[in-house]
Amino acid sequence: MITGNGAAAWGARLARAEIIPNFPITPQTAIIEEIASWIASGEMDADFLPMESEHSVISALAAASSAGTRVFSATSSQGLLLMTEMMFVTSGLRLPVILVNVSRGLSAPITLWSDHNDVLVQRDSGWLQMFCSNNQEVLDSVVMGYKIAENSGVLLPMMINLDGFVLSATREPVEIPSHDEIDDFLPAYNPKHTILDPKEPMSMGGAVFGEYMYFRSQQRMAMQNSKSVITDVCAEWEKMTGRGWGRGLVEPYCLDDADRALLICGSESATLKYTVDKLRKDGEKVGMLRLRTMRPFPCEEIVDALSDVEEIGVIDQDISPGSGGIIATEVKACLGRNVTSFIAGLGGRRIGVEKYEKIFGRLGRDVEEWIF
Amino acid sequence: MEDYLVGGHVACQGCSASLGLRLALKVLGKDTVVINGSGCMTLLPVYPTTPLRVPWLHLAIENSGAAGTALYYALRRKNIKANILCYAGDGATYDIGLQSLSGAAEKNIDMIYICYNNQSFGNTGHQRASSTPRASYTSTTPVGKVEMAKDMPAIMAAHRIPYVATACPAFPVDFLNKVTRAAEVKGMAFIDLLVPCPVGWGFDPSEGIDIGRLAVRTGMWKLYEITDGRVNLTYIPKKRRRVSEYLRAQARFSHLSDDDIGAIQAEVDREWDELEARGYEYELGI
Repeated sequence: MITGNGAAAWGARLARAEIIPNFPITPQTAIIEEIASWIASGEMDADFLPMESEHSVISALAAASSAGTRVFSATSSQGLLLMTEMMFVTSGLRLPVILVNVSRGLSAPITLWSDHNDVLVQRDSGWLQMFCSNNQEVLDSVVMGYKIAENSGVLLPMMINLDGFVLSATREPVEIPSHDEIDDFLPAYNPKHTILDPKEPMSMGGAVFGEYMYFRSQQRMAMQNSKSVITDVCAEWEKMTGRGWGRGLVEPYCLDDADRALLICGSESATLKYTVDKLRKDGEKVGMLRLRTMRPFPCEEIVDALSDVEEIGVIDQDISPGSGGIIATEVKACLGRNVTSFIAGLGGRRIGVEKYEKIFGRLGRDVEEWIF
Repeated sequence: MEDYLVGGHVACQGCSASLGLRLALKVLGKDTVVINGSGCMTLLPVYPTTPLRVPWLHLAIENSGAAGTALYYALRRKNIKANILCYAGDGATYDIGLQSLSGAAEKNIDMIYICYNNQSFGNTGHQRASSTPRASYTSTTPVGKVEMAKDMPAIMAAHRIPYVATACPAFPVDFLNKVTRAAEVKGMAFIDLLVPCPVGWGFDPSEGIDIGRLAVRTGMWKLYEITDGRVNLTYIPKKRRRVSEYLRAQARFSHLSDDDIGAIQAEVDREWDELEARGYEYELGI
């Protein structure tokens, strides 16, 4: 039984992350505390670098990754936003950094509780973005994350999100694979293209003129490549552990004969699954699609999963004021049809089974509705 | 001595910052990795060319200290023995990068941090920085800066790092000796390197070395080391030149009246009188 924070730390330990720059922020801090204790006791062989800000954390991640080491850190909310400048630099330099974000609503006003605006601010940063639904998925995603990010066809950083408190501080049964199993699955990181080594001098992070757009198109291509890599890595993981996490990009639930469905991401999917089961017992043909990756955005997979569903709703635990639910906007663009957009759970506001039942009853309208 | 910064790059004519880097790399040699904070020198490598024969990483303006810290540990893990040289401008050091630099200094990371100091945000066209001297024109202090420059070497010495120095490429032997010393010490070394900037300061590109010499010989830029908290002047002008020679040679001080220059002369004289009374070697008292 371990917390989501514990699972994230275990993921880094099993992946043999070598450099751990860090800065405390609620509700992430327990991850770096756990790693600090393992390094101190000799259970984990890594360098623990207490930095002076999250900006310095991400800078350290980028520099250490440039030197060819496997790196890990975790952050949350305001911390993730302070990293913003360097998020783009890290993906632009094509560094396979793994960063766990424990999602927490943004100030002001201050909240400690979870929503997804922090992650979604980084939507366009060129990072792979993964949402986890439970603690086992957190551990699995961190380990798989390195294999995906370090793939020579991808070479992009990945952000793995778990919901603050709901997962980060809640104990769940988690199967911890052995080091031997993981070492076979995930060999040591040996960068082929860029490394800071005097034996092979190269200049990294310089200026370009006309070629800028070429580099951006390379990043886009890497993001497209990542789709099949994510699917393959999840399939390999499933063979090893029995857990494949849907098809890697999305997890469909009771969609085969569904006439109504909700799209959701993160830990709220557990309560929604329970609601689906409950309504199905009453004969209602409802289903759920859980988004695992926000980037790459799994448009084809969403179309595949939802094309036969009559009424679709999207739960957004985020808001772009002046536009609407961020995920709903993207889903609409990809499906080319109207969906009902529900803004719910901001700052960790409880949603619960009763409200999900109510939401299922309010589909079929092209509106944005706030569920307080 | 080999060159690891070679010609053909796009730095301005008469640039002392690129000269400083070239000199430093002569001492540090091929087993060196350079971290660069955004500024003039960031434009040395322009895709697909680079004038650098050692590894070079530019991330952003404010994080050279953090990047150097991580690089130290990463190279150690990779069993790569190399000098880590952070080469960043004064805006990136005194101002926006101070937090990150302080973090690295507090941890006493074994690296050499050289601040190439043109006393302004030079690459963006000479704007005010906390390193800009009082009275200097910049494009954001059109009537001259009111405040004095920060005492950055003292701030660094207050972190109890083993070696702090000031230098100027116009005194190359002094500078090369200091880079040698910086590479020898275990822990962090910081060198504040005055680099006269023809574009920002307003003088002919052929005069950069003369201006640097005047900065030191007028006593306006002191050359010293702080080793384990003990200050030692490495150059004492036998007969100080008048500050007017230095100030009148630069457009950034062209608005000053004779009285203004007289006041600056009096201040410099007072500082040197105090130094002479104290002796040119003394404890900083940190």
